[in-house]
Amino acid sequence: MKNDGKTRRIAVCGKGGVGKTSLTALMLKHLSGRKDLKILAVDADPAVGLASVLDVNVKKTVNDLRNEIIEKSRDREKIARQELAEAVDYKLFDALTEGNNFAFLAIGRPESEGCYCRVNDLLKEIIESLSADFDVVLIDGEAGIEQVNRRVMKEVDDLVLVSDPSAKGVRVAEALWNLVREQNAVACSRAGLVLNRVRDGEEAKGVMERTSLELFGWVPEDERLRRQDVEGKSFLDLPDDVPANAAVAGIMRKLGF
Amino acid sequence: MGMFEEVLHDVREFVKAFPDEGKREFQSRDIPDRWPSGGNGNLVLAADTGVELGSPREESVSFALWSESDHAVRDGAITLIGPDLGEPGGRDLPYGKVVMVAGGGFDGKNDYDRYRELERARYDVDLEGYMIRAASLYQREWIRISRKALQKGLTFRTLGGALIGRLKKIEYVRKAEVLFITSSKEDVRRLKAIAGKAAMLVGAMSKIFEEPQMDCDECEYRPVCDEVTALKKMRESLGKERRKR
Repeated sequence: MKNDGKTRRIAVCGKGGVGKTSLTALMLKHLSGRKDLKILAVDADPAVGLASVLDVNVKKTVNDLRNEIIEKSRDREKIARQELAEAVDYKLFDALTEGNNFAFLAIGRPESEGCYCRVNDLLKEIIESLSADFDVVLIDGEAGIEQVNRRVMKEVDDLVLVSDPSAKGVRVAEALWNLVREQNAVACSRAGLVLNRVRDGEEAKGVMERTSLELFGWVPEDERLRRQDVEGKSFLDLPDDVPANAAVAGIMRKLGF
Repeated sequence: MGMFEEVLHDVREFVKAFPDEGKREFQSRDIPDRWPSGGNGNLVLAADTGVELGSPREESVSFALWSESDHAVRDGAITLIGPDLGEPGGRDLPYGKVVMVAGGGFDGKNDYDRYRELERARYDVDLEGYMIRAASLYQREWIRISRKALQKGLTFRTLGGALIGRLKKIEYVRKAEVLFITSSKEDVRRLKAIAGKAAMLVGAMSKIFEEPQMDCDECEYRPVCDEVTALKKMRESLGKERRKR
């Protein structure tokens, strides 16, 4: 993909425990090798799992910012929208953790009770505006795709549905795709399946016979990923010869990178 | 007394207190080359940053002032106190910026919108390798200049010239001037004390415009409102208008 000034937004979703976060981290590792790209990695999982696998120190989450803004709004009952919007943008940029050619933003826990629609809408608007400054936005979503729409952005270019080879995982991926198609859970131009922790090509082929989803690719089971995770080491530091890296490179090629 | 006359006077005194050798002055008219535009992608990440001004971990202050008197503002003047971009001083610098404009036609009803317009102008300065994040709410501005832009020679002269050029496009602005401070945290802190006075005036103006039902007797801005003629005029003018409706 050429850096042509248009931001490419990719959301990674799927059933809990299928390896969405590991896949997102590997995708980020691949993209961060492209020095012509600036990437925004968004961790939309309340447990900030992506931060852990990247060994990134989260300074502040979007939820922390939301609470600060609500507090500030209480101090001064009415703050002009322009003032509030630029304060949010300023604080959001400060909340980024920056790597060489990527920045990391954690969304944090969902908001507590109470209606803060003005603040929530503003935050989403500012995240979208911040995203436009980057070449690629990579979102590690929660299991529910509607959370991406509600808390990050309403539209993505590519939806990567992740599943392990289990029938249940694939069914959830199909259900997510149906939510997108039928209920417009998030607007997207293209969606496809990535099978994770697959034993071999035969197993991937067998799974694909049972689904109509487009296959973006499959990632082999990889002991070194597990070890990296157990040892708390960043996936960005994985050696390039790890088979999962080659598989993810193939997936990224399919996505046009 | 005009809205910001006293603050403008304080800024002049603040600058005067620096020895001449610590100050540099440029004229925006003399800036020869146009710096290329950054297009829509003025993002400078930390790894590409050559110098950072007023980051959240540094002192920072930024505010705008106006006067209706042409004598109060030196048109096109860019004053710099402290190291210029690319000069030794470190990667992270404290940062102070004051925009001063002279213009006419302030009628009490348009003042607040005009203030916002002045504040917004900074986002239209589109220079390759220059990124701005700002929060009027905290009177802070945070600038990143890329290493490439420093190598190509981006300076405060270019930056100030671009800002003045943008300000002069505003219909009521007859003259525009800008002051930059990068000398020390202490200097920026002293400028912050002056900025606090401007913040009180802007806060009062904001309250008059945003809260039509406010009770003046209870209002924390009453002392400034009573003292500054322009605020009194604004309150009366908007009060009349609201009663008419």
